[in-house]
Parts: sequence; structure tokens; C-alpha cells
Amino acid sequence: MSANARRRAPGRLAINRLRERGELDAAVIERFIARHGSPIIEGERATFLFRGEADEVRVRHRVVGLPDPLPMRRVGGDLWAATTDLPQGSRVEYQLETRRGDHYERFNDPLNPRVAHSPVGSSSVCAAIGYSVPDWALPHAETRPGELFDEVIRSKALRRDQPIKLYLPARFTRAARYPLLIVHDGTDYLGYAAMKTVLDNLIHRLDVAPMIVAFVPPRDRLREYPNYAPHARFIARELVPLLTERFPLQDNAAGRTLMGSSFGGIASLSTAVRYPGVFGSLFLQSASLVFTDIGTEHGGGPAFDPVVKFVNRYRAKPSAPVDRIFMSCGTYEPLITPNRSMVPVFRSTGMTVKYVEARDGHNWEDWRDRLRDGLSWLHPGPQLFVYE
Amino acid sequence: MGASPRHTLSFTMRTLLLGPQRFQTTATTALRSLGVEGPVATINSGWEEREDQVGELDAALDHRAVHLRLHHRMLDVIDKDPAFSAHALAFRDRHDDLLAAYRLRLHHAIDGVYAVQRRSTSAPTFGGVDDAIDGVRAVDRWYLTQLRALYDDLAEVAPLDSSGVIGWHRGEIAAVLGRASALIMPGGNVGTLLRTLRLFAIEIPESLPVIAWSAGAMALTERVVLFHDYGPEGARETEVFDAGLGRVKGVVALPHARRRLRLEDKVRCSVLARRFLERHCVLLDDGTALDLEADGSLPAGARILGIDGAIHEVRPR
Repeated sequence: MSANARRRAPGRLAINRLRERGELDAAVIERFIARHGSPIIEGERATFLFRGEADEVRVRHRVVGLPDPLPMRRVGGDLWAATTDLPQGSRVEYQLETRRGDHYERFNDPLNPRVAHSPVGSSSVCAAIGYSVPDWALPHAETRPGELFDEVIRSKALRRDQPIKLYLPARFTRAARYPLLIVHDGTDYLGYAAMKTVLDNLIHRLDVAPMIVAFVPPRDRLREYPNYAPHARFIARELVPLLTERFPLQDNAAGRTLMGSSFGGIASLSTAVRYPGVFGSLFLQSASLVFTDIGTEHGGGPAFDPVVKFVNRYRAKPSAPVDRIFMSCGTYEPLITPNRSMVPVFRSTGMTVKYVEARDGHNWEDWRDRLRDGLSWLHPGPQLFVYE
Repeated sequence: MGASPRHTLSFTMRTLLLGPQRFQTTATTALRSLGVEGPVATINSGWEEREDQVGELDAALDHRAVHLRLHHRMLDVIDKDPAFSAHALAFRDRHDDLLAAYRLRLHHAIDGVYAVQRRSTSAPTFGGVDDAIDGVRAVDRWYLTQLRALYDDLAEVAPLDSSGVIGWHRGEIAAVLGRASALIMPGGNVGTLLRTLRLFAIEIPESLPVIAWSAGAMALTERVVLFHDYGPEGARETEVFDAGLGRVKGVVALPHARRRLRLEDKVRCSVLARRFLERHCVLLDDGTALDLEADGSLPAGARILGIDGAIHEVRPR
């Protein structure tokens, strides 16, 4: 199947042309799938396909605005299809679901080799026209790699040993001063957002300043990330001083950035609020900035109770714990409205806020794809200085 | 840096500014055109840790190069003179703080220029654009004044003469330059290049012919200006960075202009030219070869940005 065949501009959709042929035998269906693959991207339309016997077949996704589940219809023989809008540049993670009698089964699209991974499993990926994996997110042989190594820190605040992974950039030297980036859900950023590869590439290309990065994994994420005092104390009063003592860091707030996605965004913001002036910047990706304007019914379940309590309190009395915030959010995720709503609140405090959206969801590859925007804005590389 | 006795007779100062050498190597021809013999010194400290990877450079210079290795020497100073090194690092921290404050002020000042500029297309602005540009120039002046004060502070607490290590390196550098028939200054990181030039108090004798390109060309000017319209964050505002060696007069050097500047954006180019009104913003693209006048000014035919935002050529005097 050629990319052109899959992505040609729409006239009549391929699936409709197939329907009009009447009865479909297995050979015709096989040729059709071999030619088009799945999903079929035609202009700003995506057609999902499935082959097999079932009572129902549905596309499961979490795209706000589209019906979920998206029912598939039998085209003929054992071929099922569903077509939906897919604006340019979109990227959607999905699975298929079948019902056979009372038995439901969810699985990745067997006709689509493109898969994304996360801590809760994998999903199929549907990429619209205009989306491609950024070149800087892929390994390159010419890129000088940084070094990643494990450390364990005895934390009085957390009353446990806290493992972290430390990243030192290529060409690390003690004669330089480096910014410090602390990443919540650090292991997942490395595993699912290719963050070491991204850092290596962006630093090599001079897009981002060489920096030292502490990747910090949680132990009990739902407890530690939504405004938890011991966690904030560990980050601000234990981790930062320890790293400042051991490494040639820029020893001021402007050189320190806290980063996180989803609940990790709340952990970043709440830590900064508890320790204003320690950090200069926040990098918040799809932060779980859920709030209520009245009452306590937020719809997020008990896990979000402390989040909503924190965000409501912040909204009632906004402060400027940092100078700059870079925020990103996917337009297809439920958190898009809270994130959009918080931009003017943050700005009202005098903080400089850069906010970007992407036609993507609440997932690691979306967060990966926004890393260059955020890191190059927060800590620009020496490109301005280099004239070869 | 000591002047070479070989160059004290009557001479015409020769300075050649070239376009970037990566895709179009003109350094060989330029060197031969000088008609000098013997070793040529190079300052390629802008290459930083790649300073010793000089195979291609050696070939382009007919294998006559003697490399001054200023970056290597700077690391040696940092290693062997911890007291000076500590002062230098403290200076760099203060310079970073100053740069951060400058960028903040510059960003708001330049936004003001573009806002008034946009309005000027539909309503009278009563000279508001020029006045707003004057505001940007005032921010540039403030930054350079503060930077000079930082250098003065550094010189007071850590004078170059107080470091035996620096003194030793300066002796070696002077000896190499004294034997050189020309000096070659390639590109690289202009910040690092300037830092090493300053650390070893490099002064290029007027009698010594110089060929420079990219960051090397910038370092020869009186005022080094940083620019990049195509970074990952889009156009970053042009910044004044530091004073250069001042051998090239009345010039803001813009290497890689086509690759780094939105030359089709006349408004932006016009603001750039008007901001540095007392100097020519000269474009140093691939293939450029400017043999400067004896007083260090631009020759006829050099391509410069006009205050109308268009590209012009310097007229014959």
C-alpha cells in the first residue's frame, strides 16, 4: 500500500466505492485491505476497518466530540467499517471492541501496525494527514548521547529511599553551569516519551540548552502527586539542594524547572506553590487542572478530590510561584477545557505563560511531541550564538 | 598580546571577510590572494571541544596553519588557576543574570516597535516608530554599559596580569602570532570565541592580515549582534551581545543571513537596520568575499540592509 493511495484527496471514499460493488468475496476484501490498510486516511476522513465475525464491532477512543464507542457497520462478508472526521494534523489512539453474545473483547487494530505504549498498555495509532513523528524524537547516529544513571536518595520527607535517574548532557563539564529540570513520572517520560532521545537530539541540534535532568518516579502516584506536602518537601528541600551541591547547576530560580503531565502537572504546580521562588519555570502537559465553580461535583471520581480542592483554592487566590509556565494540552482530551480556563488565571498573576494545543489526546506521544516547544522556550539552546 | 616586529614597517591593513565555508570554500583562494608566505595562525576556539579537529581547515589553508588553541588554553586556565576560575564563573553567572534582564526589557521594547509599526499603516503615529526604535537602542546601550561595569568589576578582583597561567599562555600566543604571516578566524560559537579572545587579551596587530568568516567575522567588529529568525521558537529578537575586537569599523556582521534572517520581511529588516543606524548591517552569505578598506570599512559592492528593509550594495566612495 502506498502512502499516496492511503492519503489521496477525497472524492468518494474508498469504502463507499467498495460498498457499491455489491457482494464482496474474501479475495476482493483482501485486495482492498492490502491496498488501503487501516485506517484509511482520505482528506480529513478516517475509515477504520475490521475483519471477522462478531455481533458488534466498535472503535474505542477518548476523543472529546466524537461518539465513543464509534459503532462499525458491516460492509459485506466479514468486513466492518466506520468512518469519522479526522482534521489535519490529528493523532488519535484507539482500540477495537467486539461483542460476541455477552462476551466483549478489546484489542489493538490487527490491520494497523502502528502502536503507542503507555504504563497501562498499548493502543493503535491513527495519524491524520499532516502528522508525522518529529524527526528529533527518533534516534540519530550522529547525535552525541548524554549519560543516564541511577541514584537512590534517602528522603526524610518521604521516609523512604527514593530512586531517581539522572541525565547529564553530552560534553558535560564542570566548567559550565547547567539548568536543572525535574521530571515527574520520570521513568514513564523515559520509557514512553523517548525523553532521553529527545534531549540528546535537541541539545545536539542546539535547540535546547545542555541541562541536567532528574527523572523522578512516584511510588503512590495518586497520593503523592495531588498537593502532598512530603513530596513537595522532598523535591524542594532535599532533591534540589543535593543536586546543587553535587553538580554545576545554575544556582537560582531561573535555572530550575519542574515538569509533569496529568497528575504530574499538579505535583509540579503544587510543589512550586508550596515553595515559591525556588523554581523559575513550570512545564505542564495536560495537567489535571480540574476545578469546580460551585459545589464539589467534578465528575473525576475520588482520586480527583484533592486535585479539585487544590485547584479551587489556587483559583480563589492565584499566586505567582514561578516566572514562566509552558502549558500544552491535547484538544481531544477532556482536560482541554480546564487547561484553557487556567491560562488567564495564571497570566493574571503576572507570570508569563506560553500555551500550545495539539490535535491529540491524553497520552505520552502527545507529550513527547510537545517537548521541543516547551524545552526550547524554557531553556533555549545556544543556536543564537553559533555561526559555523 | 605583543605586536610582531615583522609588521611594523609601512603596510596597508588587510582584512578579508568571507561567507560561511561549509558549502563553498573560498578561504584557500583568499589566503593565496594575500601573497604572504610562511605560517598562518588560526583562532578557532569557537569550535569549543572540536577545536583540535582541524583536518579540513589545515587542507584549506595549504597546511600552513599553526593553531592557537585558545579554547584548550582556557580550559587549562580553569584547571590550573582555581582562584581566577572562580571569579570568571561568578562573572558568567552575573552576565547571565544581566542577559536575562536585557532580554526581558528588549522583548517588551521591540514589541512596542512592531505594535506602533502595525498601526502606522492605518493611522498617524507622529514619529512613534522612530521613537520606539530609539527606546530599543536605549535598552541596548543600557545593557552594554552594565556589561562594561561587570568587566570592570572582574578586572578589579581578578586582573589578567595576576594569573601566572594566563601570562604563560599569553607568552606562547604572542610568539606564535609574531611568526605568523596572517591570522585566520573561522566560525563557531561567537560567545566562546569572544570569551577566549578576552581572556588572553588578544589584540591583532593592524599589520597582520586577517581572514575571517562567520563567528570570526563577527568577533572582528566593534559590536557583536546575535540573530536567528528560524530557531525552534520562531524568530528570536536580535540581541546585542558584546563588544568585538573593533578591527572592522561601522559594521554589524550578519553571517548566514539568508539562512538565519527573514530577509523577505521588509518591516523586520527595516527595524533591524534602523536599530543599528550608525553601522552597516552587512550580509555575509555563501560565496561572499569582502576585502575591506584600509580603515576597516566596507568596500564598494558589499551587500547591506537598508533602512527600507531591502538589500542594497555599498556605493563606491
